[in-house]
Amino acid sequence: MRIDEYKQESEMLNPGHNACPGCGAALAVRYLTRALGPNLAIVLTASCWSIISGMPPLTALKCPILHCPFPSAGSVGSGLRRGLNARGQHNTTVVVLAGDGGTFDIGLQALSGAAQRNEDYLFVCYDNEAYMNTGMQTSSATPFGARTNTAPYPLFKEGQKKDIMQIMAAHGIPYAATATVAFPDDMERKLKKAQEIRGFRFMHILSPCPPGWGTDSSDTIHLSRLAVNTGFFPLYEIVNGVSWKMTCQPEGKRTPLKEYLQNQRRFKQMEDLRIEALQEEVDHDWEALQEKIEATKCSD
Amino acid sequence: MAYELMSGSQAAAVAVQRVGVDLVAAYPITPQTAIVETLANFEGKGELGGEFVSVESEYAALACCYGAAAAGARVFTATASHGLAYMHEMIHWCSGARVPIVMVNVNRTIGAPWSLDPDQGDSLSQRDTGWMQIYCSGAQEVLDTVMQAFLLSEELLLPCMVVFDGFYISHTYEAVDVPDLEKTRKFIGPPPFTAQVQPEKPANIHALITGDMQADLVRNRHETMLRAPAVFKEINHRFAETFGRSYGVIDSVMPPGTKKVILAAGATAETVRWTLPELEQTGMVQLRMFRPFPREDLCNLFEAHDIEQVVVIDRNCSTGMGGILAQELQAAVYGMEKPPAVKDIILAGGIDLTPEMLVKALTETASLDKVEQKWGVDLR
Amino acid sequence: MLPDITTEKLVYAHGTESSAVNKTGEWRFMTPERMPGLSPCRQGCLLDGEVPAWLEAVKREQWEEAWQIMRRNNPFPALTGYTCFHPCTENCNREQLDSGIDIPSVEKAIGLWRLDQYKPGQQRDLLKDEIAVIGSGPAGLSCAYYLNQVGYRVTVYEKSDQIGGMLALGIPEYRLPRSILNKELNLLKEEGVEFVTGCEIGQDLSLDELYEKYSEVFLAPGAWKSRKAGIPGEESRGVWNALDFLSEFNSGKQPEVKDPVIVIGGGNAAIDSARSALRMNGVNHVTLVYRRSRAEMPAYQPEVEAAENEGVELIFNALPGKIDTVDGRVSGAEFNYSKTNRQGLVVDKSSSFHKSCGTVIMALGQEQDSSIFSSLEKDVSFYAGGDLVTGPATVSEAIRAGRIAAEAMIARLENLPEPELCLPVEDPISFEDLYLEASVNLEIKDQQEMPEKEASRCLGCGTCNSCGICYLFCPDMAIDIVDGRYELNLDYCKGCGICYRECPSRALILKGGK
Repeated sequence: MRIDEYKQESEMLNPGHNACPGCGAALAVRYLTRALGPNLAIVLTASCWSIISGMPPLTALKCPILHCPFPSAGSVGSGLRRGLNARGQHNTTVVVLAGDGGTFDIGLQALSGAAQRNEDYLFVCYDNEAYMNTGMQTSSATPFGARTNTAPYPLFKEGQKKDIMQIMAAHGIPYAATATVAFPDDMERKLKKAQEIRGFRFMHILSPCPPGWGTDSSDTIHLSRLAVNTGFFPLYEIVNGVSWKMTCQPEGKRTPLKEYLQNQRRFKQMEDLRIEALQEEVDHDWEALQEKIEATKCSD
Repeated sequence: MAYELMSGSQAAAVAVQRVGVDLVAAYPITPQTAIVETLANFEGKGELGGEFVSVESEYAALACCYGAAAAGARVFTATASHGLAYMHEMIHWCSGARVPIVMVNVNRTIGAPWSLDPDQGDSLSQRDTGWMQIYCSGAQEVLDTVMQAFLLSEELLLPCMVVFDGFYISHTYEAVDVPDLEKTRKFIGPPPFTAQVQPEKPANIHALITGDMQADLVRNRHETMLRAPAVFKEINHRFAETFGRSYGVIDSVMPPGTKKVILAAGATAETVRWTLPELEQTGMVQLRMFRPFPREDLCNLFEAHDIEQVVVIDRNCSTGMGGILAQELQAAVYGMEKPPAVKDIILAGGIDLTPEMLVKALTETASLDKVEQKWGVDLR
Repeated sequence: MLPDITTEKLVYAHGTESSAVNKTGEWRFMTPERMPGLSPCRQGCLLDGEVPAWLEAVKREQWEEAWQIMRRNNPFPALTGYTCFHPCTENCNREQLDSGIDIPSVEKAIGLWRLDQYKPGQQRDLLKDEIAVIGSGPAGLSCAYYLNQVGYRVTVYEKSDQIGGMLALGIPEYRLPRSILNKELNLLKEEGVEFVTGCEIGQDLSLDELYEKYSEVFLAPGAWKSRKAGIPGEESRGVWNALDFLSEFNSGKQPEVKDPVIVIGGGNAAIDSARSALRMNGVNHVTLVYRRSRAEMPAYQPEVEAAENEGVELIFNALPGKIDTVDGRVSGAEFNYSKTNRQGLVVDKSSSFHKSCGTVIMALGQEQDSSIFSSLEKDVSFYAGGDLVTGPATVSEAIRAGRIAAEAMIARLENLPEPELCLPVEDPISFEDLYLEASVNLEIKDQQEMPEKEASRCLGCGTCNSCGICYLFCPDMAIDIVDGRYELNLDYCKGCGICYRECPSRALILKGGK
């Protein structure tokens, strides 16, 4: 990893923002804005970042942030892109920023519509795997087995985490990629690549949430790294919905999922049986992903 | 003069094309579809000037308009009924965000059960969303009002809804004086600079604020909207100079000796206008602007003519209270030295009003001096 | 024409001011703090040097800063760069990854930078007391340096006519270029240190006289008395003791040496003698005989290897029984084999060999000469250091002694609390302690010639090496970059602890409270 090129002047995130200590989403947006700025406009839907961005007259970013209602992000992005074009501001990068709720659930229709129309902007989902701004309620991005405030003990989230990447791939968009905060180099490379592409682009960023996940605030990077090393959250990119490529694969064997789960309160009291089930799911998804990647290699 | 035979929907679309917009985002719904299709046709012929976006829902249509308007673009959308209801969250948001947007709503009953007739309840139930609302009674009026609505909206930084009845106006054809493109563009002019998103300028736009701050904004929005009648009149003054036509926030016909007026909005106003010669000592008011409510214009009119009775045609019903226009009028005249009695004829379900029904309604309500509701279906 | 909403009220809806006014540090209940841990190199350093700290400064190409850190413990990095055996390099954690850091080359580079940079400034006013230093070896020079730096008037007395003690007379040119030594000495003179050469205390001047004239006296005359073997023929012509030989050789005189040469002994002086002799005209063959095994040699192994590579013949487990002479001049020596067992060294009288030669250099070690104290009659307390105290040791240990003596004198003269000798008690940071999950600067595997590049390979091991990981992973923009260094900004630090958790060097701790 090289950070010699990091200059404080190129940071777009101001200090004094309202994120909780150890917030993965704050970091994700820091990398995002740094990589894509300064000529950048962000559409921000209801999510943790609605709070993190600060209360006017303050702002946490050095670029405009247009807040919008929860389900509307994908559509507001379409409008903003076209509106800026109409005013001759073609060079401004438009980013729509949404949490997992604003992407997987209430925002999915608008997202799908914009993706299908191949709107020219980058949709970034920072995924903390539940409705965290409202206090950790289940979303369709919540992994199997996790406890939330709408699935409290002895309940747990049933059903798989929605595979948003496959959904986006099925739209055949020019570029889709996963990223997470422990691998800023990988994230930055993907962001810059996405920025060069015209049409609809999608980034899925896993952002650990210490209060929601019930983890120590200092563990954010560690967990993000483990998510990748266990194969729970592989880092890859998809071009045109068909060309799959691993970008940052852990060397050697994948770490057992249990290591990732064990220090998170949301997975506490998870029976071994369910850990195994989740491990199997991860293994299965991993194999499926490898198949797609292999298939891509063969067709190249 | 270039008269063309066209429907109300087509008139709305032609107005948008004449004004010149950067973006139209829309989703089809009966009875609004002709507007969308006409605009798409313009785009197909390269005559729209801006972009036409076929979005995946009405909600997306308005959200898309919001985004574009925030960048300073001139935008338009159209919907009806369920579509309007589906937009509800965005409708609130756009007025709070102070973006200029013009939207046509073609009245249609909201289900269940499914229904197509032009009940005004869809748009009237958006009364408190912070949008201006203007009701039209014919295709020419639609065309002119849509054009004027852009100026009004851009002047006050408030979105404006132009409303007319489904089928009775949207689907019936009349000869419309279509203004010349260049003449219109010259009159309307390019959109003023209203961009909120300026890439080079950090801004946390419409982020979470305190109740105190919000109160300030709401008051400002309210006070700004109260300026709409004056601004609208000024626009019409100029419009008349260019195009030879003009409209008021209310338009009235007051035969000599009028003591009773019929108040109507939308297509029923036209029925009233044509029935008026058959009625004695009866005048009429076409309520064009519903938001802001033209209280001053109405009270002045009633005072000047010593009006004793107002019969309101309400093609809607607020369940549990009655016709919405009647309620609004009641509130408006309250406090007048001699407030007129308000009678209410409810055409809920969007049913048609015939001259015969109108005559019968006037007779049956004549003797009453307090609020009286008369159901349209009982007048047949 | 537009309503004033755009300019005034919308300020509410359009926050334009940086959130930096919001001091989120207020939220904190844990606080990260830089707390240097002990690295293997620091633990190994004979001078208590803050090795990772000056490596870090060199990495940033901040030479002045590196020198300032260096001089806290070592005022002569050029001298130690050449002469020190660098135990600091022995347990470098980087070795477990690819190759250890070449600390000596960076140290030397700092020293050379300093010598190059030095421009004689205005004469500083030396207003404090006068202090005498006896002996101009590394201990004396170091003591003089530190005293001079804070304004004392120092006079160094040297019995030889050359300044530098063992540096000038004991260590051969090939290990320490005299040009470097002379630069250091000139620098000291320019800074105002006075030198009196050819003046032996106890002979030319008594200690009592010194104590009358000076506020403090530092005794660092070294250990120049050579041990004797006590064997026949030891006093004959052609038998040198190593120090005399090296002194003559190093002062440019040609000591009388005839080929072949036998060096007896296994210490550094023996190796230095052997390698020096081999460099003399007419000498083709040098044999070094040591009584114990190779592994038991006290000499610095790389030096032994260098000697061997140059062609010095090594014979182990043998010790001299007598030196043969012809006409009073050495002609050879008789050796007996020996071995080490539980009782110690056992000489096997039954087996012996003879080796003929033209010269024998006896390098059996030195000892202190306490005769200096004979000239002291007053009842005074005194400071002493260097080989006089430790017996023959290294340049680096002597420099350290000079520093400690200077600090103690300053404390006494200025009524300051007595400086504590902090000897590290903790275990140094091991390779396993480091956290290299996201580490930077792991790409360069091999040692680099450019000192800046080489320094950048340092993993820090308990000291911030400015890798920037803390900056990279801080969600709260609470790390500032100041001149290439990463500084915690507690105005904004919410105390999440990510910097502490992710620091590859383990240079941070997390404390409870603000």
